[in-house]
Amino acid sequence: MATLVRLTSICRRGVKPLLFRNSLLVRPVVAQKKEPDSILSAQIHSTAPQYEVGSGSKAASRHWTGERALSVVLLGLLPAAYLYPGPVVDYSLAATLTLHGHWGLGQVVTDYVHGDMKVKVANTSLLLLSAVTFAGLCYFNYHDVGICKAVAMLWNI
Amino acid sequence: MSAVFFTLSRGGLIVAARHPAGALIMRCAQTAAAAAPATQPRLKKFQVYRWDPDTPGDKPRMQTFEVDLNSCGPMVLDALIKIKNEIDPTLTFRRSCREGICGSCAMNINGGNTLACLNRIDTNTSKAAKIYPLPHMYVVKDLVPDMSNFYAQYKSIEPYLKKKDESKQGKEQYLQSVEDRQKLDGLYECILCACCSTSCPSYWWNGDKYLGPAVLMQAYRWMIDSRDDFTEERLSKLQDPFSLYRCHTIMNCTQTCPKGLNPGKAIAEIKKMMTTYKEKRSSAV
Repeated sequence: MATLVRLTSICRRGVKPLLFRNSLLVRPVVAQKKEPDSILSAQIHSTAPQYEVGSGSKAASRHWTGERALSVVLLGLLPAAYLYPGPVVDYSLAATLTLHGHWGLGQVVTDYVHGDMKVKVANTSLLLLSAVTFAGLCYFNYHDVGICKAVAMLWNI
Repeated sequence: MSAVFFTLSRGGLIVAARHPAGALIMRCAQTAAAAAPATQPRLKKFQVYRWDPDTPGDKPRMQTFEVDLNSCGPMVLDALIKIKNEIDPTLTFRRSCREGICGSCAMNINGGNTLACLNRIDTNTSKAAKIYPLPHMYVVKDLVPDMSNFYAQYKSIEPYLKKKDESKQGKEQYLQSVEDRQKLDGLYECILCACCSTSCPSYWWNGDKYLGPAVLMQAYRWMIDSRDDFTEERLSKLQDPFSLYRCHTIMNCTQTCPKGLNPGKAIAEIKKMMTTYKEKRSSAV
């Protein structure tokens, strides 16, 4: 009796679902590109690229190179701050530290913040945070002892 | 024949192995040990992830199986096959070659992605072995992950030889120097088991847009192939914040690779090439 029931269900659904069972592979979570002429693409879990692929601009790799260059500059600035503390190093540090933090947190945003609106909000608030940080550090350099002296004083405590 | 009886005691095994026909005696001794009812069974627990999409409302769960290691092959895949044969035929997993060349049986065993066929069963029977499908993948059933996105990404890098001038196609071999061929060592061995990509946190969070270590290593393999003419085009296809630059050198990929390859290094090489490729093209013209 059980086999009979199973047989009728096969007849009703046809043999094809038994062979392909596409329905098992399709998940509604991920948006799919509709290509009705291809059976294969219907079951592929890939979102259509939301960015320009192969745009020809080197923006992405230039950003990466910039990050590395900045890290090297920062590595040089730290001993410079120890050896030659002064306003030049103070303002350089303010700029590089802020940019370093801005780019680093930007990577975190790209990694973890998903969704167009949320990304925009996160990036804007990050820009605001970095701007305030830079302004604050400049203010500190101008009106107070400056970054180099401040760190030296911290060590003296 | 007396030697066989002799080796039944554990202490005698080493003596017998020094015998000229040692290998044969060892094999006899093993079968004898497996058949002997007197030996203590070494029951090892296997906790296996189970989920059946055909049962409506079924929730994923861990099912524990007990396998006697005395009558089981040495690898985790042997244990899984034994469970499927003797205990529960509904247990579902992929396997084919059972020798680490097909990449079918990639799964998460005791917290690490690896091939079940290359992973020895931990003989410590007091600890259960935990087996899950590859992490952060859609599960088709039990230990079978959905690899469609992974394969689509592999397809997107055009993993084949591309020539600018195709007039000589099929007429003669494209020759390569020994040095150029050596550059491909450590890259072409990849079997696309996806152990590395699915161990990468960046791939977990951005698997739809980040290509992942396995695919990027194959992209690199075609970039540095001396016979391929499309290096710059291949590189410029990665010019966006996601395809390549979600790699943060976490190096889980290299640590987990069951074939001992180094996708992390390949990605680093791509990043280096990305900064210079336009200059290379202008100098070539």
